[in-house]
Amino acid sequence: MKMGMVIDLEKCIGCRSCMVACKQHNAQPPGTWWNRVFTPGSHHHLTPPAKGIEFFLPVHCQHCENAPCAKVCPVGATYHAPDGAVLIDFERCIGCRYCMSACPYGVRQFNWEAPEKAHQRAGYQEHYRFGYPEDHRKEGRLVYAPLRPKGVVEKCTFCAQYRDKGELPACVRGCPGKARMIGDLDDPDSEIRKLIRERNAFQLLPEKGTKPTVYYLPPKAKEI
Amino acid sequence: MSATMKNALRISGALFLIAIVAWLYQLKEGLVLTNLQNSYSWGLYISGLAFFVGNAAGGLVLSSSIYLFGVKKLKPLAKLGALTAFANVTAAMLIVLPDIGKPIRLYNMLLHPNFMSPLVWDVIVLNLYAAVSALYLYILMLPDLTGPLARFAVKVADPAGFSETWARRIAPVALLFAIGIHVITAWIFSTQGARDWWFSPAMAPDFVSVAIGVGTAVVLLAAALAYGTGEKYQDAYQTLALIVFMAVCVHLFLMMNDLVIHAWFGDAETHRIMEIAWGDFAWAHIFEVVAPLAGAWLLLQERVRRSLPRLAASAGLLIVGVFVHRFLIMPAAYNNIPMTMTPLGLPGVHWSLPIASGRFFPGLSTFLDSYAYAPSFIEVVILLGIMAYAVFLVLLAIAKLPILAKEVS
Ligand code: SF4
Ligand code: SF4
Repeated sequence: MKMGMVIDLEKCIGCRSCMVACKQHNAQPPGTWWNRVFTPGSHHHLTPPAKGIEFFLPVHCQHCENAPCAKVCPVGATYHAPDGAVLIDFERCIGCRYCMSACPYGVRQFNWEAPEKAHQRAGYQEHYRFGYPEDHRKEGRLVYAPLRPKGVVEKCTFCAQYRDKGELPACVRGCPGKARMIGDLDDPDSEIRKLIRERNAFQLLPEKGTKPTVYYLPPKAKEI
Repeated sequence: MSATMKNALRISGALFLIAIVAWLYQLKEGLVLTNLQNSYSWGLYISGLAFFVGNAAGGLVLSSSIYLFGVKKLKPLAKLGALTAFANVTAAMLIVLPDIGKPIRLYNMLLHPNFMSPLVWDVIVLNLYAAVSALYLYILMLPDLTGPLARFAVKVADPAGFSETWARRIAPVALLFAIGIHVITAWIFSTQGARDWWFSPAMAPDFVSVAIGVGTAVVLLAAALAYGTGEKYQDAYQTLALIVFMAVCVHLFLMMNDLVIHAWFGDAETHRIMEIAWGDFAWAHIFEVVAPLAGAWLLLQERVRRSLPRLAASAGLLIVGVFVHRFLIMPAAYNNIPMTMTPLGLPGVHWSLPIASGRFFPGLSTFLDSYAYAPSFIEVVILLGIMAYAVFLVLLAIAKLPILAKEVS
């Protein structure tokens, strides 16, 4: 089994529901966004960069097979789970931030201060908490915690806490356009493999050799 | 101990203590006290690592000149070389600590080392180099460990002969580790295919050449301060100055070679690198070229070498120039977002994805694709404190141990 994700840019309407679902479910502190939806070429979201051209591009951790972040991590805090997802052990990370320089996709984020303090600074209501409320361990390793320790790195886990219970990641469930799909890349007959073949799927920065397991289906040019 | 020495020890010791307190405070509050953020995740501290590692090369230059190339006139300076090497390589390890989010967990490097990581290699080789520098210094001091220090001396029949033999044996090992610290520190950056500014085979040889230049300048400065600029060591100073000048020339050549190759092809990434190097940082860039070159050229002049203030100013200029060079490792790497694309249907457009800063900066967007980093007050205080630590250690050793040649002490 090798986890993979396909995002159909033809179906993506740029609503950013996945962004918000991700932020909420994973209790991301202010200023931290694991998942972002862009309007490539434009400085403003939902603004066509040129007449007749507008598409949206959700970007989060690409769960690379040849992940530079895992290779540089001096203590093996960033590692590949058996299904191929790239996870971070919040109890082992020493916070050297080497992985942040190594990742070409700019998706890794650091806890510059304790999340409670960050909440205060951003003016959140006192004791207001959101997100999946319990710690989650995978094979004993802490891969999700609602309150992150200060000084560690975090990023998208493909919602390890939900997948381990047989549920889909929050972004997949939250997408009203059903643009997202996960599946098994090792199985040539899986739905995502089929889509990758039939729809000319592409990856981000394939030239970096990171072998992302997130694939994008190109959109048709729109008439607007 | 002279009054000047006492005061210098007091001041440098105090600065180091202040840095420790500042670091403890930063440990409590988090790295939010620095001016770093997610898109610009390493700054002054890691530049400091590269800087101190470079300064530590003096020991290598002296030991290999004396024992591998037979330059006997440098022998009286060998202990100073080993001492400055030890002080700087330990400073390099110290300056990494405040950059680490969870330093308490550093034991994980021993429990779960990932041998793919160049950072693990660097920690290993820095420790080995520190150990071998200390050992080398001890061997060199052995014949002079007399009086109250005699209890620290290993008992051998002929201390002078023993010292000479073992210094000769250790020199090649020290050379290996010494080159290792520069090459591997460079690899931390130059293995990163994500960052065009770093991803260059020229970086490791360049680190070696800068280090030989600045490390030797550090020894030259220390020697002039300790022994003065009288006739006695002029010969040795001249040799050191020549090494400094040649190393700086090789460094500038490697750097320019890299820039020309980047600039010639002129793809979009390079374009951005050039904009940063020649636009926002043009003055710093000019300084990083001119200051080491001018400093090294001045040291070649006999007039300069015969006057302590002039020699100190020239060596200082070179060292500051190299420091700026180290600072410039970061901006063109972080302000050039790796995740760029040509949006579908818009050939010719080069578009970078902004990165979530992870911090709250009033007046700045959460999502940044470039960031004007300047170190915060606490970063500067900690870096100065670690510099003071290196000075303190060198002075203390000179005061307490038989480092200087007998005639003077
Ligand atoms: S996208 Fe970045 S963080 Fe995610 S696996 Fe790849 S290199 Fe690592
Ligand atoms: S910050 Fe943490 S996850 Fe990233 S490389 Fe360092 S120890 Fe590994």
